[in-house]
Amino acid sequence: MLSESARMSSAQEAAYRIQYPNSKQRAAKIIALDKTSARIVDEVSRLPWHGAAFFASLSFAPKGSPGDGKDESLQAWLSDLAGRTMELVAEVEASDFVVVLTAAGEDARAISIIADACKLHNKSLVGLVVPREGASDDAVNASLNYLRPFTRMLVVANGVDYVEAMLRALRA
Amino acid sequence: MLKKEQNDYVTQTGPGTPMGNLFRCYWIPALLAEELPENDCPPVRVKLLSERLLAVRDSEGRLGLIDEFCAHRGVSLWFGRNEECGIRCPYHGWKFDVTGQCVEVPSEPAESGYANKIKLKSYPLIEKGGVLWTYMGDPAQQPPEPEFEFCSVPLNQTFTTKRLQENNWLQGMEGGIDSSHVSWLHRGDLSNDPLFKGSAGNKYNMSDLSPVFEVVENDGGLLIGARRNAEDDQYYWRITPWVMPTYTGVPPRGDHPIHGHFWIPIDDHNCWAWSYDYHPTRPLTDAEVSAMRDGKGIHVKYVPGTYIPLANKTNDYLMNREAQKAGRTFSGVEGIGMQDASLQESMGPICDRTKENLVGTDNGVIMARHRLMRAAKALAEKGTIPPGVNPEHHKVRQAALLLKRDVNFKDGAKEALIAKKGVRQTSV
Ligand code: FES
Ligand SMILES: [Fe+2]
Repeated sequence: MLSESARMSSAQEAAYRIQYPNSKQRAAKIIALDKTSARIVDEVSRLPWHGAAFFASLSFAPKGSPGDGKDESLQAWLSDLAGRTMELVAEVEASDFVVVLTAAGEDARAISIIADACKLHNKSLVGLVVPREGASDDAVNASLNYLRPFTRMLVVANGVDYVEAMLRALRA
Repeated sequence: MLKKEQNDYVTQTGPGTPMGNLFRCYWIPALLAEELPENDCPPVRVKLLSERLLAVRDSEGRLGLIDEFCAHRGVSLWFGRNEECGIRCPYHGWKFDVTGQCVEVPSEPAESGYANKIKLKSYPLIEKGGVLWTYMGDPAQQPPEPEFEFCSVPLNQTFTTKRLQENNWLQGMEGGIDSSHVSWLHRGDLSNDPLFKGSAGNKYNMSDLSPVFEVVENDGGLLIGARRNAEDDQYYWRITPWVMPTYTGVPPRGDHPIHGHFWIPIDDHNCWAWSYDYHPTRPLTDAEVSAMRDGKGIHVKYVPGTYIPLANKTNDYLMNREAQKAGRTFSGVEGIGMQDASLQESMGPICDRTKENLVGTDNGVIMARHRLMRAAKALAEKGTIPPGVNPEHHKVRQAALLLKRDVNFKDGAKEALIAKKGVRQTSV
């Protein structure tokens, strides 16, 4: 007599893994932190996705803009690739996870406010450092150092094809 | 997740498949040296990358891996008689040497030259570090011998085992680079296993259950760093190297020998899980070796006379619910090696990756798959030699260390990550 484990791990039994979905669509927000990575985000965004939203830049509230009772320091707007503006905190709140991209050595300061928004709503933040052609190790290191305190996962990855592979793997 | 076509692409390694061609660029472990213990010993059936082969050691100690079946009428040469420098088929007496060359066809006059025209496919077999390695690719592209540290140190500093694992190689390998499971699945063993316990690092593992990860590309594959908080503005880093396609290194603990794995496809539904354990600078102690033989650490106990784990799927892995409830083991299965193997086999012969839901911390796995597919494609389209073929890529070492929080692990651990002769491992 075969043990239950032996039978259940067979190829034949694998066919009976039930075919119902085991997850709901999750909302991914992908945000470029600088102009170079914005070009990558732009390119990736043209592919078909399941509701992932791509943003090319972040802008901050001009002093004295009408608040809505939320933390003033988090007043920031994301611009999507069509040029529409969305409120950062609301976008993060509506997301399941957030991915930020920065090109090695570029100014990545915008991450701190995104991380604050993620913290406020308990969302996990993945950081991707894209080593541009010819970027020095120092530039990559500077970006890693900058992103490290804010992210749960930090990846150094080349270009559009990895960004696409990662987002597909995460069902974005 | 992967699409069905992608999952097929990365898991299938038979002849002519893209991933099979990739595997055929490397020297891979084929069997343990102990399996061919002396000249003219019994031959051993070996199935690798979905090819049925026979390992032979002839009267002069020459090694070879040849087509398992006689060229005459297809009898398995495992029944053959290992005679003077050749294996003779017991059916009609055809004789083959370790290169697969037929040297005698008794029914034909020797002068006829008939035997010269018969040759079985064969692959080279070399011994290094107690392991017999083979290369199953184009002879013109045969790379230099492997130089992984575990097979380069003196034999009394290294100990390697293999066990049958009844699932596709990739789900094994993915377990090897996924260090986020350690604090869960193996938590009981960190404090109990003689080859793990007592290291200062264990306390960081257990006090911070949500490590933060960094993945960077390396010449031969990837470096996957997992960091946990430690005192004094430091992080405790555990760095796992992966050398393509299937070598992984588990970060060390204290002065325990350092270990890791290869998962070598037998066919698409089975693999050999190889487990190495070595110390770079000292002989293994008797206590260490007997613990390893006894199935401790990453090794397993066997069904006597086989390389099949004693706890296996036919006996429900000796599941112990009481130990699970009491927290002595987290999954109810005893031993680190079988904890991994049992769960990986439970995924089915080939894990259905169309149904998985990965999270950001799975980026090590995502990146490894991506690199495998990219390398297989570059090989198929442009003939590009994949990473990990060059023996320089083998000289990487796993590391565990404390670093200041503003230091990049790739820099802070730069020296630690290089396998250097006579230099101890970097470990906490
Ligand atoms: S929690 Fe990872 S496979 Fe179930
Ligand atoms: Fe494990």
